[in-house]
Amino acid sequence: MFRFLPEQASEHAAEMDWIHHWVTDISVFFTVAIVGAMLYFAVKYRKRGGVDHETPRIEGSHFLELVWTIVPTIICIFVAWEGVRIFKDIRKVPADALTLYATGSQWKWDFEYDTGKKTTNNFVLPVNKPVKIVITSQDVLHSFFLPSMRVKVDAVKGLYNYVTFKPIKTGDYRLFCTEYCGKDHSAMLGTLSIVSENEYTRWVNDKSEKQTSPIERGKLLYVEKACKSCHTLDGTRGLGPSWLKLYGKTGKFVDGASYTADENYLRESILKPNVHLVEGYSPAMPSFEGQLSESDLAGLLAYIKSIDGTGPKTAPAATTAQQPAVDLTKLSPAERGKLIYEKGKGAGAPCLACHSLDGSKLVGPTYKGLYGKEGKWADGQTYTATDDYIKESILNPAAHVAEGFAPAMPPYQGILNDDDIKDVIEFIKTVK
Amino acid sequence: MSTHTAAHGSHEGQDINYLNHQKGLWSWLTSVDHKRIGILYLLSITLFFILGGIAALFMRTELAFAGPTLKFLTPQMYNVLFTLHGAVMIFIFVVPGIPATMGNFLLPLMIGAKDVAFPRLNLFSYYIYLAGALLALFAVFWGVIEARSLEGALDTGWTFYAPYSIDSGTSVTLMAGAAFVLGFSSILTGLNFVVTIHKLRAPGMTWGRLPVFVWATYATAVIQTLATPVIGITLALLMMERIFGVGIFNADMGGDPVLFQHFFWFYSHPVVYIMVLPAFGVVAEIIPVFSRKPIFGYRAVCYATLAIAFIGFTVWAHHMLVAGISDTSAIFFSIITFAVAIPTAIKVFNWVSTMYRGSISFDTPMLYAMAFVFLFMIAGTTGIYLATLAIDVFYHDTYFVVAHFHYTIQGGAVIGLIAALHFWFPKMSGKMYNETVAKFAFALVFIGFNLTFLPQFGLGMMGMPRRYYDYPIEFETLHTWSTVGAFLNGFGYTFALVNLAYSALFGKVKASSNPYNSLSLEWQTKSPPIHENFEEIPVITEWTYGYGKPLPNTHH
Repeated sequence: MFRFLPEQASEHAAEMDWIHHWVTDISVFFTVAIVGAMLYFAVKYRKRGGVDHETPRIEGSHFLELVWTIVPTIICIFVAWEGVRIFKDIRKVPADALTLYATGSQWKWDFEYDTGKKTTNNFVLPVNKPVKIVITSQDVLHSFFLPSMRVKVDAVKGLYNYVTFKPIKTGDYRLFCTEYCGKDHSAMLGTLSIVSENEYTRWVNDKSEKQTSPIERGKLLYVEKACKSCHTLDGTRGLGPSWLKLYGKTGKFVDGASYTADENYLRESILKPNVHLVEGYSPAMPSFEGQLSESDLAGLLAYIKSIDGTGPKTAPAATTAQQPAVDLTKLSPAERGKLIYEKGKGAGAPCLACHSLDGSKLVGPTYKGLYGKEGKWADGQTYTATDDYIKESILNPAAHVAEGFAPAMPPYQGILNDDDIKDVIEFIKTVK
Repeated sequence: MSTHTAAHGSHEGQDINYLNHQKGLWSWLTSVDHKRIGILYLLSITLFFILGGIAALFMRTELAFAGPTLKFLTPQMYNVLFTLHGAVMIFIFVVPGIPATMGNFLLPLMIGAKDVAFPRLNLFSYYIYLAGALLALFAVFWGVIEARSLEGALDTGWTFYAPYSIDSGTSVTLMAGAAFVLGFSSILTGLNFVVTIHKLRAPGMTWGRLPVFVWATYATAVIQTLATPVIGITLALLMMERIFGVGIFNADMGGDPVLFQHFFWFYSHPVVYIMVLPAFGVVAEIIPVFSRKPIFGYRAVCYATLAIAFIGFTVWAHHMLVAGISDTSAIFFSIITFAVAIPTAIKVFNWVSTMYRGSISFDTPMLYAMAFVFLFMIAGTTGIYLATLAIDVFYHDTYFVVAHFHYTIQGGAVIGLIAALHFWFPKMSGKMYNETVAKFAFALVFIGFNLTFLPQFGLGMMGMPRRYYDYPIEFETLHTWSTVGAFLNGFGYTFALVNLAYSALFGKVKASSNPYNSLSLEWQTKSPPIHENFEEIPVITEWTYGYGKPLPNTHH
């Protein structure tokens, strides 16, 4: 009875509908039985001729109370169990699932594929291939609802949610926003087209304008944001955990709680690294909050996921080719130093990853007022930040570590020559 | 039952009662009499019920056909309408609803007290309520004046979800302030009732003899006292978020928008039981009287009431199963939710069993009570779908939820209130209403209500999302039926209310003190009651539900 659910276009739809229909049938049965009993009593025991007949003073029945406590309990346990079992099934992401990113904003859905293909509101997926859609929001709450695929999840700013399903029928299906999001909430509609594998491949690789894929973007950021100075790609331990096979890994925080390195964990680790610290590591990582856009973050996640042991394990070089050519000889030493601070040189990460200019403490000491400053090393000896001290700190940082800092800095021996170091020192002198 | 009071019916000055012992508007506005305060609440909430209803009819008119239906109504105005409909109906009409009106009027009468424990606090509660309600109206007017259009009134939905409510340019801060103020009225009323039930029961009115309505009011009062502060804090945080930008719900500042939902539903789920538990109590009073039978399973019904109130505190996140809480919490809250279904089922079985071998008459209150059982079966069973995790993934935020919610709150709380108004009308007004008009209105309400909301279950099954100004064409037929039903429903309520109001003011038929031959204490005093309720403090010697011929094994 009452089979109005939309077409079953995903693999799990049939199972979900099974429990739905079972609940429908049992509900109709009990409603008809109970209301039927009520109407039957109403007719059979109605007051006749305006005079009350004698009624028995029945106050209850322990037996019946037990029956109508136990029977609904058994039914509820069964339905709850099946609901949970099927829910777990439909949340399980198959290993070969295609991943794409969906971002809700007032009032549209933006999609991005691994190939860099971007699309708005209308998107395309191949039939018979499992998919995982990672969903977030750029502004208020939205909710991602594909009725025919039987999936729904809210899009929340600052959080990744996901849906996963395997389309089994080609055709066009509706996408709704089901969380109220303001003026044009009811116009925030889209269409999912399920097409053949070939058609999909053609579509997803057809890019009208040059777009970088999320993985490429993540790879660039890995260098630009100096992730590489602490996170290796080959499994060796740096200051931070290696990114090799990091995605999906489980481990423990220093407080003993366990974690799985999923999207939300990685997001938090990048934006708020010191909230949950992984066992065995020091709180050395600076926060990247405010420095990365949603699309940057999605790029980094895609890149981290791609380091699954199948690709090259060496760190990509800085993409100097993309930087505008600057005639270094026309710059002052301090300006050249600033360039090294901001962009790094060769395989060397830029200094800005760990040293601030505004006095704030990152992984390393701030450059503000550094030149000429007096302080203590970790072994208790005092030092003055002269040219020689700074030079040694750059070339062989592990020799003397300033008090309160971790021995985190990689040596720049062979990366920066004497002239470069002079330039950097000149630059540091200007930061007062 | 009470033996003294009924005997003193024909004293000198028998026409002096709570309605006329003092005259003039001022005597009403300053009265600390629980009966008069109940009437004040009743008049106030009726006004807001009409306002909320008008908003609903505008919405249904717009939704009657696909595409823009009303030329002057923009999508944003539609958003304002459903927000005002929800906010007014929930915060200003249903939450005070039965407890503040019937609870105030009946509670002391049912337990044999002269008044509630703190009569002046009771009047103060009413004025806080009035202040909150007026502030809400002011918020609407202020928003409209600022934007020079209805579009500026309040557009967040009654749920005030962050971060939209933080950014919205409408009068959110004022409206949150209004709901904040209204909450205090609810807390103080709850507190007053708890103390009244504990301390002011007449001699012999043991807990085991209390009418089920008193048990329901007790459970409700406990929820009001414990849960309402949470919504107060939540709304205060929302106001601080808007005024000072504290950031607790703002992802940009490290806050968590989902936290708002946790806070909000920690109150707003239990509040559903504030709305329907008293209605359960009403039904449990009406069915025994018109069946001439004791309530079946008195203890089970009372324990079930307390169980629902208690479990109701632990299920809030079932409103958030797809909001981005972890799968583990979703599983937990789904399973706990099923635990509420069981005591609710027990109640339904007991109501129906009460009619077995009764002598059943079909006065209007009984018709509403029987309709309540039917509507609540649908409300309850459709709740099972939403509690089932795998099914809720599909139904969350669709019209299925809208229909389920209205079967619970309109089919439950509102039908319960209308049933109560008819049932206790003779006691409150001292008159009888026109039975024919009342039955006609009942038929309109029943048919109209089902015609409005049954199609909405169908819409939900088809995947129609809620809070949509417009919709794809495949949803049109069911929407059109739903709109027809809404107007029938509206006419039904109009007939019912006009009938009651007219009968109270101009009715000629005087009510006897106990027209239904009920055993409950409130019927053992005059209609309408005197100011002090009873001429002497009643002494209770029997159970409230001693209908019918005792059986050999009767134990009460």
